[in-house]
Amino acid sequence: MRRDVLLLLARQVVSNTFRNKAIVMLLGIVAILLVYATYSCAGIYLQETQSRQSYQKEVREHWEEMPDKHPHRMAHYGYIVFRPKSPLSIFDPGMESYVGNAVFLEAHRQNSVNFSEAGFSTGMLRFGEISMAMILQILVPLVIFFIGFNTVAADRENGTLKILLGQGVSWKEILTGKIIGLFGIALSLLLLVIVLLLAAGLSIPQQQLTADDLWLICWIMLFYAVYFGIISIVAVLISAYSRTAKLALVSSISIWLLWAIILPRTMQAVGGFLYASPSRIEFETAIEKELIQKGDSHNPDDPYYKALKDSVLRIYNATSVEQLPFNYSGFQMKEGERISAVIYNQHLFALLERYQQQNDVSRLSAFINPLMALRNLSMSISGTGFNAYTRFQQQAEGYRYQLAQHMNDLQIKLISNKKPGDNDKPYSISREHWKSLPDFSYKADSPVRMITSETLSLFALLCWMLLLIITVSILSKKLKAI
Amino acid sequence: MLTLLFKSFIRSKVAVIGLAVVLFTGIISIYIGRQHIDKQIKSIEKTAHFQQEHIQRNVQYFNKEMGLLLYHLRFSLVNETHPLNGMSIGQRDINSSIQSINIRNLENQKYDTDLFNPFNLLTGNLDFSFVLIYLFPLLIISFSYNLLSEEKEGGTWPLVSTQGDSPLKLLLRKLLIRAIAVFATLAMLLFLGAVILSIPMDSSFMATIAIAVLYLLCWFAICLWVISLQKRSSTNAVILLSSWMMLTVILPGAVNNYILNKYPVPEAMATAIAQREGYHEKWDMDKQPTMDKFYAHYPQFRKYALPEGQFNWPWYYAMQQMGDDESQVQANAMQDKLWQRERTSAFIARFIPTLHTQHMLNAIARAGLSNQLSFLDSTTRFHEKMRLHFYPKIFEGSDVSGEDWQQFKMENFSQTYNISWLSVLMPLILVSVLFVILSTVNFRRSLRYDRI
Repeated sequence: MRRDVLLLLARQVVSNTFRNKAIVMLLGIVAILLVYATYSCAGIYLQETQSRQSYQKEVREHWEEMPDKHPHRMAHYGYIVFRPKSPLSIFDPGMESYVGNAVFLEAHRQNSVNFSEAGFSTGMLRFGEISMAMILQILVPLVIFFIGFNTVAADRENGTLKILLGQGVSWKEILTGKIIGLFGIALSLLLLVIVLLLAAGLSIPQQQLTADDLWLICWIMLFYAVYFGIISIVAVLISAYSRTAKLALVSSISIWLLWAIILPRTMQAVGGFLYASPSRIEFETAIEKELIQKGDSHNPDDPYYKALKDSVLRIYNATSVEQLPFNYSGFQMKEGERISAVIYNQHLFALLERYQQQNDVSRLSAFINPLMALRNLSMSISGTGFNAYTRFQQQAEGYRYQLAQHMNDLQIKLISNKKPGDNDKPYSISREHWKSLPDFSYKADSPVRMITSETLSLFALLCWMLLLIITVSILSKKLKAI
Repeated sequence: MLTLLFKSFIRSKVAVIGLAVVLFTGIISIYIGRQHIDKQIKSIEKTAHFQQEHIQRNVQYFNKEMGLLLYHLRFSLVNETHPLNGMSIGQRDINSSIQSINIRNLENQKYDTDLFNPFNLLTGNLDFSFVLIYLFPLLIISFSYNLLSEEKEGGTWPLVSTQGDSPLKLLLRKLLIRAIAVFATLAMLLFLGAVILSIPMDSSFMATIAIAVLYLLCWFAICLWVISLQKRSSTNAVILLSSWMMLTVILPGAVNNYILNKYPVPEAMATAIAQREGYHEKWDMDKQPTMDKFYAHYPQFRKYALPEGQFNWPWYYAMQQMGDDESQVQANAMQDKLWQRERTSAFIARFIPTLHTQHMLNAIARAGLSNQLSFLDSTTRFHEKMRLHFYPKIFEGSDVSGEDWQQFKMENFSQTYNISWLSVLMPLILVSVLFVILSTVNFRRSLRYDRI
């Protein structure tokens, strides 16, 4: 292939595009939307991050300022943790709006993560959000298809194709040149996104983008570039294969609708149908049932806790718990907390596993829908995907467990074993102990893991690219000028 | 003539495939709605059963103190699922339809969400409202974008237009044929929906039908207008698809971002913190001031004086009550914010047919934000009722066995929704009329210059 011919053809695609007023208008709208998306997503990020950080600080201060009290009171006072927003949510909000933002952590009880944006939504959210990622994933391909349907088909209709071929330009050169032209237009939009993203990053003073974030942005942009490559090739291939430009347009639009609108919903619906997930009441009753079976700490005659008590008394050669050198009720609660946490986590993992199975149907559909591959990669790298959601949930539960057991340990060590009389002051320990529980801090996944957790999507994207390149070289031997 | 036009229409591949795809997806969507409703019904049955079992077990364990028993007991209130919810799932997949609450601090319990897979929420439900709002317009677009341009491009138009009485009439007839096919599909889906979801033939269903019909008429009007511009087929397709994109993706998304930015709800987190402080700080304070605040709220309980001793139940429940009382400001501010969101959305939706249709379908199916907010209000009333029933018994130290525990069954809440037909249908009618007028103007002009 000759470079100057390819460049000439590519330049022709670009200049034709800019001569079409409707397309220029569409590109303008996309650019304006990108600016609006950056502005609005950065605004939401800033607002939310500030309010969550300040509330998190308030919760910590309240915790440390608590007066002397019984550690178990402290365990019920508990903690509220807020889910920090990922900085790259400015680019791709992913599931951000659908997952809860705050969770109350206390002893004995795993509360739900509440206050999701979706729960507060008027239902409008379900139409989707405007974000840079959404525009790049859905709108830009449509614009590429709008430009691309004409590339070869128009030349065929007005006869220039015959002339081109007659002048010794090969089919391969024609296809490649047009693909490069389309790809260039898409890349220029991507360039705009990079500029906007950096500008947004710089305009958020307290939350400077870290080196890791910059690396992740590079990776994201690389994947989007691959995706645009795929879309450009598909657009040119359809245009070359169709008899008329109108047919090319109808086919491109149909494929776009399938990829962007119909398949994502359908695949997730199939996932939900194949792997039914339990309702909340089913989930909770199943846990409660298992807990009661194992040992019901509320039941004074429960055999499990009776046996536990007997064995402890035997070891210490004591006849009643009051003779023990440590606080027995703290000890019993610690055991109860351990058992309930193990059972809860088993059920939670099973539930998340179920959700993952539902999502895997979508994930696998990447082999028929490149958008799905990109979407999963983009969310995962932006820290707004399913993994980030489960990560927060698990870290919050881990912190809850740590808090409860820390307080139980304090009780075991420092609280007297004798029951206080009716008019005695209740037992308490010094407030100095509260500081010994570290504050909650969410640890994001490592950049490498964010990418490797979507290896399948990455593989699907590469398969698409490879398959399309092969198709281009096969078709360029078979295509006809008329 | 009509039958001839119909035959030629139905012979085209696009028509048959398009109708089949929409019909097929529509039927699937109704079954997905059915699955949703079944899951709700199952949950409700389980809750009713669980409540009985739960009360029985706890009454057996904690039979000495009323106060301790009520610490554990939970009572359920169900937000009734209207059969139409199967057509428009709305917010019912994220907001729990069941509240199981104890008589302690309500603000700590009220906002618990349902279990859900966030990916499902992200992709959205494949329910009937999706088929109606997204897919039907595409069908209409694919049927009509080249209605006139095709004949012109194919060179058949001069021939055709000289045969009939008026070229415009012929065009409208062709459009009518397509409308009949589209509305027949809609009717079939609505009929199947009514049967499969056992939807009662009430005013709610009539409103749903009217909205669906008018929404599709809007799209026919938009298509007619684009046809009246008399551009090439491919230009028509680009204009129509861009409009579709604008109405189903861009405008709703932009409005959503606007509302999130305009009305953020930090009050939610403030409420969570305030209720927790309001209750817990009382443990470290003198008992009497807490009781005084409690008496100020409920003067009728003044007769129960604070008993002696380090711990007693009246004081405990007074502390719990303070969690609610002292977070009222924040909780009310949050409610106001959410109602503001609802009102603003409804207002903006009037100008955007897709948003209006979704909003109305959700509202009629009792699946929107207003339903959720009413349900939360009703939860508050239910909670208050239980409190007022049990407070005196706890304070008097009544016998657990003296209470008829069988009477505490799960209760239901159903939102009454009064359809104001004008505000439901008017926005859609106006949009349709507007585009019909615009098209008429265009056609008149072209007729005058004999360009049609």
